[in-house]
Amino acid sequence: MPLKILVTAKRVEDPESKIKVKPDGTGIVTDGVNYKMNPFDEIAVEEALRLKEKHGGEVVVASIGADKSMTEIRAALAMGADRGILVKHDGPLDPFVVSAILDKLFEKEKPDLVLLGKQSIDDDQNQVGQYLAERRGLGQATFASKTESLESEAEQKKQPGVVLAADGKSLRVVREVDGGLVTVDVSLPAIVTCDLRLNKPRFASLPGIMKAKKKPVEEIVAASLGVDLAPKVAVKKLSEPPKRQGGLKVADVPELYAKLKGEAKVL
Amino acid sequence: MANPLVDDRGLSFVLYDVLGAADLARLPHFADHGRETFDAWIDLCRRFSRDVLYPAYRPLDEDPPVLVGGAVKVHPLLREIWPRMCELGVIAASRPFEVGGQQIPATIALAANLYLMAGNCAAYGFAGLTSGAAHLVEAFGSPALRERWLAPLHEGRFAGTMALTEPQAGSSLSDVRTRATPSDDHFLLSGSKIFISGGDQDITENVVHMVLARIDGAPPGTKGVSLFLVPKLRLAEDGGFEGNDVSVPGLVHKIGWRGLPSVILALGESGDCRGWLVGEPGRGLAHMFQMMNEARIMVGANGVATASVAYLESIAYAKDRPQGRSVTDRNPLSPQVPIVEHADVRRMLLRQKAIVEGGLALVLQAALQADLAAHAPTPEKRRRAQLLLDLLTPVAKSFPAEKGFESNALAIQIHGGYGYSSEYLPETWLRDQKLNSIHEGTTGIQGMDLLGRKVMADGGGALSILGEEVASACARAARAGVDPLWIEALGRATADVGALTMELAGRGMGGDVDAMLLHSSDYLELFSTVVVAWLWLLQAAAAKEALAEARGHPDMLQGKLAAAAYWLRFELPRIGPLVATCREGEDSYARVRPEWF
Ligand SMILES: Cc1cc2nc3c(=O)[nH]c(=O)nc-3n(C[C@H](O)[C@H](O)[C@H](O)COP(=O)(O)OP(=O)(O)OC[C@H]3O[C@@H](n4cnc5c(N)ncnc54)[C@H](O)[C@@H]3O)c2cc1C
Ligand SMILES: Cc1cc2nc3c(=O)[nH]c(=O)nc-3n(C[C@H](O)[C@H](O)[C@H](O)COP(=O)(O)OP(=O)(O)OC[C@H]3O[C@@H](n4cnc5c(N)ncnc54)[C@H](O)[C@@H]3O)c2cc1C
Repeated sequence: MPLKILVTAKRVEDPESKIKVKPDGTGIVTDGVNYKMNPFDEIAVEEALRLKEKHGGEVVVASIGADKSMTEIRAALAMGADRGILVKHDGPLDPFVVSAILDKLFEKEKPDLVLLGKQSIDDDQNQVGQYLAERRGLGQATFASKTESLESEAEQKKQPGVVLAADGKSLRVVREVDGGLVTVDVSLPAIVTCDLRLNKPRFASLPGIMKAKKKPVEEIVAASLGVDLAPKVAVKKLSEPPKRQGGLKVADVPELYAKLKGEAKVL
Repeated sequence: MANPLVDDRGLSFVLYDVLGAADLARLPHFADHGRETFDAWIDLCRRFSRDVLYPAYRPLDEDPPVLVGGAVKVHPLLREIWPRMCELGVIAASRPFEVGGQQIPATIALAANLYLMAGNCAAYGFAGLTSGAAHLVEAFGSPALRERWLAPLHEGRFAGTMALTEPQAGSSLSDVRTRATPSDDHFLLSGSKIFISGGDQDITENVVHMVLARIDGAPPGTKGVSLFLVPKLRLAEDGGFEGNDVSVPGLVHKIGWRGLPSVILALGESGDCRGWLVGEPGRGLAHMFQMMNEARIMVGANGVATASVAYLESIAYAKDRPQGRSVTDRNPLSPQVPIVEHADVRRMLLRQKAIVEGGLALVLQAALQADLAAHAPTPEKRRRAQLLLDLLTPVAKSFPAEKGFESNALAIQIHGGYGYSSEYLPETWLRDQKLNSIHEGTTGIQGMDLLGRKVMADGGGALSILGEEVASACARAARAGVDPLWIEALGRATADVGALTMELAGRGMGGDVDAMLLHSSDYLELFSTVVVAWLWLLQAAAAKEALAEARGHPDMLQGKLAAAAYWLRFELPRIGPLVATCREGEDSYARVRPEWF
């Protein structure tokens, strides 16, 4: 059964860039920072492509943000997605608003499956997929992972970790949880968020980049969607984490115990 | 953070702010491209190299290929890397759409390749050689040869080699002896080649050798050399493949590029090695030379890449290694400072920076001229670019190799005793770098090419074009508010080189070619210093422009100005004594007799 998959591709700061907080704490210094697709979204795109390669269908990639987010949409198209939707919005967003926008896109596109990263590496919120499932009243499987290792033969052969049932009506998803892995079945349409060990995303290719240029990308102004765009979360201040103190040597285990209990208060 | 291989911001600055490479997309040939495809391609190669090629760098250096039962086995990691690198589209990136390429400008292809080379020159080498071989087939092969061989080369199912060198024919390729005897639609080849990189391996189905050989009865010298396509496996009657009497009697044990096998090839030991003529008989070297600019710029790019990765390694080390204190700090209990705090360490870093980023601008400028020579809108513009390209090629080939070697040595020096240890990487890059002075024409050969041919070309036309470029750079720098002392220094040095060239040309025209070429290596060195000074002035101008408009990263731009100052005010004046020596015709090394050594 062909699957129509909506997948997200957020533009985030490249963790390889040195991130500095502005002196007044209102944000980060963006000069000289590189951007890329959120790595968890990249995993979602990869999984979407594998499902499409196996079952047919369509992969629609969505990004919400400033015009520059087009770069991340093109990156996903270069990997093999079919078309894009750029929801243009300058200014702050929070997971609540993002899920409201995705909800509108869901209404419009009626996908069988929405694949998202479990979180984005800029704010590490881990909420959008869950909100979206709740808004739509759909089943969700968060932290999709894999039983095989990323070095396994299944992975080399690009086997999907998110598996469609024979009747095409549900998905079987292995989830990464605190104690290990759990397997859940979720009926379609469903919302799935992807964890780190689900797959190794492919590299795009130059032919892919050239093809991506010709693939359609719809641009929608966020304000036109009839969604309340005011974030519920207000960022008051950003600050650097405290500098790490140098280590110290202790003579023996009792001293270590005393320090952990008395000074560090971790025991 | 892992070594970034090439400075992303600096590369983008040189490409777009200094050289205006985004404008290439306005040429009809590149109309399907734009800044976004350029950046996407560079970014893809950058990520591939950081994630896949660089982690394999040390393993490939440590376990070089072996010869087992006449077949070469390369490092097993290459089996995974090769298909992935081919899938990216590296091999045919800049070739036209109609042959299955993506028609990306050579300038952008080179910028992207820098990451691959810096990450793992040996692994990238297989792709570079395959591109080169495919380009020869595309340019000179018959329709039948193109039909059969081009696609598998572009896809990386087959790999390509350049089989030129023989034991008695290295620098002097007109001395090749490999024979080609006509037989039906093909030739039977016999002879042996040495140093053939990628000459055999176990990662592709087939290997396609581009071989220089002499057809029976051909005249001696250059005019008797033809080019042949000689596959390792040839098509059999039954549609499958069969051996083509190409064997590998030995491997060269190399000090660098150790992941890439360089082999001795024996052709036709059983009298059954078939080759197909590529291009016209007797034009083999001419055909090769037509690709020579491209190949030589590639070597230059390798030089830049190998110096770049070591430079970035030394920056990280210098910021991290605590050793000693400020000379004014008398307190033995104060903490040691990172060595980057010592002016002498910064001296070494700045010299590396000036060489690496000057070399980067040089190879990209040369590639830009190659794009313009092929695709500029008017014949006059194409001719101009071609002359400038021809002039810059020996410089772009040799400067990154020669000065890059120095820069690689400085990377060791900054690492102190640890740099001398093989636990650290700088020594491997030093070994890799040396090759760039040797293959594709040694530095000595580049010097003779520059002075004996290139600066004299078109009645000195090429040199005047360079003069015009320097003048326009000076004007741009003046407008941007660059220190007038720097501009004057470049103006003066350019005039000095012009006058020296006229004088040497006079000697040549007066019949004393030996006297003209006596100092060709010195001439190459001083000429290169001036060319790189031109490129540093351009970078200074672009940095000033960006600062005035509050664009770009301020630290990066200040770094550019510091390196420009170093090259224009410290390095450039050093050519004075060299110019004087060349002029005087100081002839100690012409007079010295072999028996005096
Ligand atoms: C690692 C490696 C990979 C290689 N890969 C390939 C390959 O894939 N295919 C291929 O065909 N070849 C390859 N080569 C061969 C390479 O191109 C030659 O080594 C090079 O051309 C120099 O030739 P040679 O080694 O015979 O040195 P020589 O020509 O003997 O030169 C020795 C020295 O003499 C100087 N010299 C020679 N002739 C003159 C002259 N007329 N005037 C002034 N000085 C002169 C040179 O500058 C040099 O310093 C490779 C070599 C190496 C080391
Ligand atoms: C093969 C080998 C054999 C050796 N044998 C011996 C031995 O037998 N006995 C022994 O005791 N040691 C030995 N050494 C150690 C050697 O003496 C040290 O490596 C050397 O003194 C440099 O110290 P380092 O390696 O810590 O480099 P560092 O001191 O860290 O120097 C790193 C870089 O920083 C620069 N730098 C450091 N401090 C300053 C400063 N204050 N101002 C300006 N620049 C500075 C240096 O010039 C260098 O470029 C050996 C080393 C090697 C490689």
